Amino acid sequence: MTSMEKRLHKELQLLQKEPPHGVKIDVESIHRNLTEWIVDLEGAQESLYRGEKFQLLFKFGDRYPFDSPQVMFIGNNIPVHPHVYSNGHICLSILTDDWSPALSVTSVCLSIVSMLSSCTEKKRPPDNALYVKTCSKNPKKTRWFYHDDEV
Amino acid sequence: MAEEFVYDPERNYDEATLAQLRDMEKEIADRQNLISNRIAFDKLSEEYAKEDEIYRTKIQGDLKNRYDYVRKTRGDGNCFFRAFGFAYLEKLLTDQTDLKRFKDVAQNSKSELVKLGFPEFTIEDFHETFMEVVGKVENQCSLDELLETFNNQGLSDYIVVYLRLLVSGFLQKEADFYSCFIEGDRSMKEFCNQEVEPMGKESDHIHIIALTNVLGVPVRVEYMDRGDSLRCNQHVFPEDSTPLVTLLYRPGHYDILYT
Repeated sequence: MTSMEKRLHKELQLLQKEPPHGVKIDVESIHRNLTEWIVDLEGAQESLYRGEKFQLLFKFGDRYPFDSPQVMFIGNNIPVHPHVYSNGHICLSILTDDWSPALSVTSVCLSIVSMLSSCTEKKRPPDNALYVKTCSKNPKKTRWFYHDDEV
Repeated sequence: MAEEFVYDPERNYDEATLAQLRDMEKEIADRQNLISNRIAFDKLSEEYAKEDEIYRTKIQGDLKNRYDYVRKTRGDGNCFFRAFGFAYLEKLLTDQTDLKRFKDVAQNSKSELVKLGFPEFTIEDFHETFMEVVGKVENQCSLDELLETFNNQGLSDYIVVYLRLLVSGFLQKEADFYSCFIEGDRSMKEFCNQEVEPMGKESDHIHIIALTNVLGVPVRVEYMDRGDSLRCNQHVFPEDSTPLVTLLYRPGHYDILYT
């Protein structure tokens, strides 16, 4: 087993045993394909996204956990949020520049839930239209500029 | 004549830029091992001669009189951690005086990190690999084996990650004291998340101070800058200690020095 597979199996076990609140995984589908996970996410109770359900797609490369996973929202409910583009791409520094091998699927999910929870006004990023038209399919191929940690 | 560049706002340049960065990384990786063999200064000086007269003067007029060899490390942003880790373990291979103390510190460091809130299930892999390598040194593996371990990207990066976590843990624990040394309007935790824990983030004084403190391993750094002085400036961390490891710093990069 490669170190990437070993690590993912370990994360999977832990997520099954102690899933964080509002985070759910489809274990069967992951066992079919270990390098692509679909994670169900629920908006936190006290947030603007209460009661909303979202889906995240995680893709892991051979160099995981040294390289960050590719993470985006998929499905028909993409959260309307200043850091989430309508094609599901997320502008969040731990997904690229600030990724560390000590982070995990769990910590990424918790950061995304927290990013949603601190939102005070539901709106798309100001450059949404242009970005969605010109960006790569892979959000990791975007050079993000992180300017606003408040939202 | 080269075609004039016209910026097209409808086009996405990111992919090309990132591909170019990856190519550059690969080129560096092909050219330079993570940790090189020992090299005599005359050879190093030849390499520098083409690009830099000031470095050559400092090597020939100063470093060469005080040191015998250098080991070069790959410039991938992790060079301080890799150079420090390798140089210290190499030292322990020939002089085991500090081994027992160090092994205890390293062994206990994981529970310290867990106490500070690091998730055990991700850090234990890095700790385990780190302790395995310390175990190899304790069992007197050959220098070649240690060098091979550090040149195996997988293993080597596990060691780098663990050293980064130790630095992060130390700084967060001692945040009251060290907060005033960090730039920008950010908390110590944010600084560690952004400048210490991610791979490839370069090391500054604060990283060196933290690592030498948390492991109890003093380091000397020879600073070779482009200043007019004929000699390198040296600094010992912590001050007034007897260094077990000596590193050579050129702006943005650390190599290892030997007498």
